[in-house]
Amino acid sequence: MFAYVVRRFLNLVPTFIGATILAFLVAQLVPGDFLQQRALEPNVRPETIERLRQQFGLDLPWTVQYIRWFGSLLQGDLGLSFSSNQPVTNLIAAPIRNSMVLVIMSIVLLYVMAVPLGVYTAVRQYSLADQSISALAYFGLAIPNFFFAQILILGLFTLRTFTRETFGYNELLLPVAQMTSSNALDWPWYRQAWDVFVHALMPTFVIATSGIAGFTRVLRAQMIEYLSSDFIRTARAKGLGERSVTYKHALRPAVIPFVAGIGGLLPVLIGGAGLVEVVVSWPGITPTLLEAISRQDIYVVLGLVVVTTFLLMIGNLLSDLLLSVVDPRIRYD
Amino acid sequence: MAQNPRARSEAKSQTQIALEQFRRHRVAMIGAGILVVMYTLTAFAGFIAPYGINEYRTRPAAAFRPPTQIHWTDPDTGRLTRPFVYDVTAERDPVTFQRVYVEDTSVRYPIKFFVKRPEASYRILGLFESDRHLFGVDDPARIFLWGTNNLGKDVFSRVLYGGQVSLTIGLLAVWVSLALGLLFGGLAGFYGGWVDELVMRIVEVLSAIPGLFLLVVLASLLQDPRNPLAQAFGLEMNSAQTFLMIVVVLGLVGWGGLARTIRSLVLSIREMDYAQAAKALGASERRVLAKHLLPATASYVIVDLTLAIPGFILTETGLSFIGLGPSEVDTASWGLLLRDATARGISIQFVPWLLIPGIPIFLAVLSWNLVGDGLRDAFDPRKRR
Repeated sequence: MFAYVVRRFLNLVPTFIGATILAFLVAQLVPGDFLQQRALEPNVRPETIERLRQQFGLDLPWTVQYIRWFGSLLQGDLGLSFSSNQPVTNLIAAPIRNSMVLVIMSIVLLYVMAVPLGVYTAVRQYSLADQSISALAYFGLAIPNFFFAQILILGLFTLRTFTRETFGYNELLLPVAQMTSSNALDWPWYRQAWDVFVHALMPTFVIATSGIAGFTRVLRAQMIEYLSSDFIRTARAKGLGERSVTYKHALRPAVIPFVAGIGGLLPVLIGGAGLVEVVVSWPGITPTLLEAISRQDIYVVLGLVVVTTFLLMIGNLLSDLLLSVVDPRIRYD
Repeated sequence: MAQNPRARSEAKSQTQIALEQFRRHRVAMIGAGILVVMYTLTAFAGFIAPYGINEYRTRPAAAFRPPTQIHWTDPDTGRLTRPFVYDVTAERDPVTFQRVYVEDTSVRYPIKFFVKRPEASYRILGLFESDRHLFGVDDPARIFLWGTNNLGKDVFSRVLYGGQVSLTIGLLAVWVSLALGLLFGGLAGFYGGWVDELVMRIVEVLSAIPGLFLLVVLASLLQDPRNPLAQAFGLEMNSAQTFLMIVVVLGLVGWGGLARTIRSLVLSIREMDYAQAAKALGASERRVLAKHLLPATASYVIVDLTLAIPGFILTETGLSFIGLGPSEVDTASWGLLLRDATARGISIQFVPWLLIPGIPIFLAVLSWNLVGDGLRDAFDPRKRR
């Protein structure tokens, strides 16, 4: 097991280096640089620009820049941000953490919703509930999440108008923007955490929707296939209860692809979270990335891309390891 | 010799069988029908849209006008009459200070059909120039079926024009990723060894970086007028070129999955008897690959591509939504139109009609998904009915 983990980890190294090279190359293609923007300001002297250019190593060929950058990356240093003159590590820690709140909550919601729905629709195949859930799944897969978020915001506002007029209750059911309430800083930590959680509910639901829809459909198909297989018939013939047959015998092999699928799901969730973050002004990775791009702050851009890529790879590795827990046929040694 | 009456029906090609199966797939046919309608409407956008894509008047104010009310009955007699609209005047709500539009019921403007409006001329499919519109009303009244945005541009017209971008970008990007996927997937599967290793590494690297990041960086790069491609050709990017750039970027980021599918298919087909036979007969490697291996992947590829189109539509509208797609100047994309609803200082509850452009995105993606699923079932011999 340990040997396998090490082997897998070593296998990730070339991919990771390739990803950093690709990211660096793409960032280099951006015409001009931050200092060219700075040079247009009237109160900045050309010597200052030149000094900064040397300090950041922008006058060197990109290969040298890359090696320097990668060298410091290995020491956990992602360079300096041009625009705020701070270490990139400080700048991007909070956005990444904020995005992870959304991503992890959506993964939890995804499994909590998709597994029961998938099992239920498979057991009650062709029932009214099954057909309406399958129809809803098509809707969930087709609705763009930024549009869905806007619709929910509109819905929450409309609901507020309704409750104001009928009960005189003039509060939104769920917050629709930002990550915290405006006065949250004075609150004790548990109240702050609850505040973030409440703010995250709507975006989490939006991000998880297409995943729930997709998972439910696939899990349903898998369950139907396993429920009609020989070992289930054997289990039933032995007199096992239907509950045990469904959950212990059919569900276990059926969820295996989903455990393995977490790795592939993460980039989708992070990408999907991105647009939703923009809609609800969640201070996450994508808004920070967009701002850094517009300022041509390439080390911040690179830092975000590299750290996210790294996290994705670790996520992939973890899901492979989890697979051996769920699937006893797979043993890593 | 007696003719076997069943001989004709048994001699159907695989494609014919698949098409027949597809026609029996009710849901998929509904999807296909919706798509036909949508593509036709956008092809004739100029004719159906009452206004030009960027047509607006600042005076009298027309910003955020709600959908124009169409009256079907005569208010005096209560009887059914020719549909008409009223002109509206802008007023301030005394309580909320929101701008409200009040109907001026003194003059009725009947809705006219096949009206000429020289200020909004258009070309159908880039060929036929005309200035005749399906419907319209006389000045100074205007008809905004789906309201207007912050600049007073007609949302209905813009949704029709936006479809020209949002519906075609996916169709075109699919060809780019098909070409790349076939090339690299085919090579990797056929040659194996270090070629395979290299291609699969590249695919892995591409899939390791979150797609949105690559797209965002590439798209913002290509939007910059100083970008290397624009500089190389010494030109300012116009909207058509930005459009092509987005197509290429989407295709470049999206070919990995297809390459993987094709590689594994080629790997298994390569070992089949007919491929071995072709090789034994002295066919060159290239011939075996092009004539025997790639065609065998066709049905999978068709299904994969059909299901990739909605993905591209979602990505394109998403990119435009964050302002990185085709620009405002003389194109519209559904994502860009939805962006109007997020502009600073706008509260969506007062302008809900700005969310209408999301509905065609949803419909297009849904229908392509339905068609893709239908095709997959149609090609699958186990699901024959």
